[in-house]
Amino acid sequence: MYGDTGMKLVQHAKRTQSLAHLPPYQTELVRAVTREVRDLDKDVSELLEPFQGSFDPSADQAVATTLLVNHLSMRRNKRCLLAYHRTRTEKLEELVWNGADVVDLSGQQVRADGATTTSSLSPQEEEYVRQYSDLLAAYKGQWTDIDLTGSLEPPRDLFIDVRVLKDAGEIQTEYGAITLTKNSQFYVRQGDVERLIAQGYLQKLSG
Amino acid sequence: MSYYDVDAILTDGEKVPCTFELEVPYLGHLNNAPSQVLKPGTPLTLPLWLAELLALASSGDSSPPLTLNIPPCLGTAVLSALKADPRAVPLRDQSVHLYGVGVRMLDLFDEKELSEVLRRTWTVRAGDVGLHARKADEGGLGGQQEEFLRGLEEWERKLFRRAHEGVKGAKEWTERVKK
Repeated sequence: MYGDTGMKLVQHAKRTQSLAHLPPYQTELVRAVTREVRDLDKDVSELLEPFQGSFDPSADQAVATTLLVNHLSMRRNKRCLLAYHRTRTEKLEELVWNGADVVDLSGQQVRADGATTTSSLSPQEEEYVRQYSDLLAAYKGQWTDIDLTGSLEPPRDLFIDVRVLKDAGEIQTEYGAITLTKNSQFYVRQGDVERLIAQGYLQKLSG
Repeated sequence: MSYYDVDAILTDGEKVPCTFELEVPYLGHLNNAPSQVLKPGTPLTLPLWLAELLALASSGDSSPPLTLNIPPCLGTAVLSALKADPRAVPLRDQSVHLYGVGVRMLDLFDEKELSEVLRRTWTVRAGDVGLHARKADEGGLGGQQEEFLRGLEEWERKLFRRAHEGVKGAKEWTERVKK
């Protein structure tokens, strides 16, 4: 029945809401729903064709009802599609605010053979994340002495011990430059490295 | 209720019984028989998003193409069970969106009793939901708890989650203050 595929998409959206990560984009389902809309639209055109633009709903109730059913089905599908995409977009925005970038997000799903990685994002979503990240960076750039995406927890200590999990290159701090090479340990200002901890380059050692 | 609200969309997809009142050659698929003519008087189960507007649609002085009925999840049997003891009915088995469907039905039908029973069911059960949420982390209230929680429908589940998060958040906060 019309609308059933759309319903599946919304059930996916519902599940997405309670997940921490973003499940793979349902390309097939989205395509099926848009195809359904196109079919319905074709049916409507065919039904209306013999009337040459002068259709009177009260004269032919059967056709009028069919048109209404088709119209409602299309509207329903549109709502399902929009809700599915909006749920995902909101999730993406949230992830971007939490410090994820497009590489993290698209590389989320790794196939078993390890060689090919399939993105769980649609190409449009990847583009959206890229541009949204740029927008956020530009917005944050207006304030140089406050990190808008920084942690809201007041720090217990100004300085913390961290261990480097992945090579992160050289970073500039108020006390000079430090080179973060794998497995080394540093005593640094928390504010300088928060970003790197969130991205998984550093691990905070509890003192 | 927002246009993009996933829960509202799912509630809209709940099926309700109705009767078709017109003869329409093109709509056999609604009765799972695409090649046949849809005859007047055919009983159907259609999702709310379709049934509601068809039941309200009428052009000129003709009657609407569809009559809507109250779904069995809000029927007399369920209502009397709820009147006897709201706690004893696993609402989820009746409908995952029981209250949502109920509200929609009350928009269409003037059913004073239904409204009263639903209201009382919600208040009585909400108190229990809150109690279970408070006790959930302390081993709960035994086997009966599991049974009751399993029977929660969507609104109640949401309430349970909020209450549970609230209790947890308050506990975390007091512990941090003590440090």
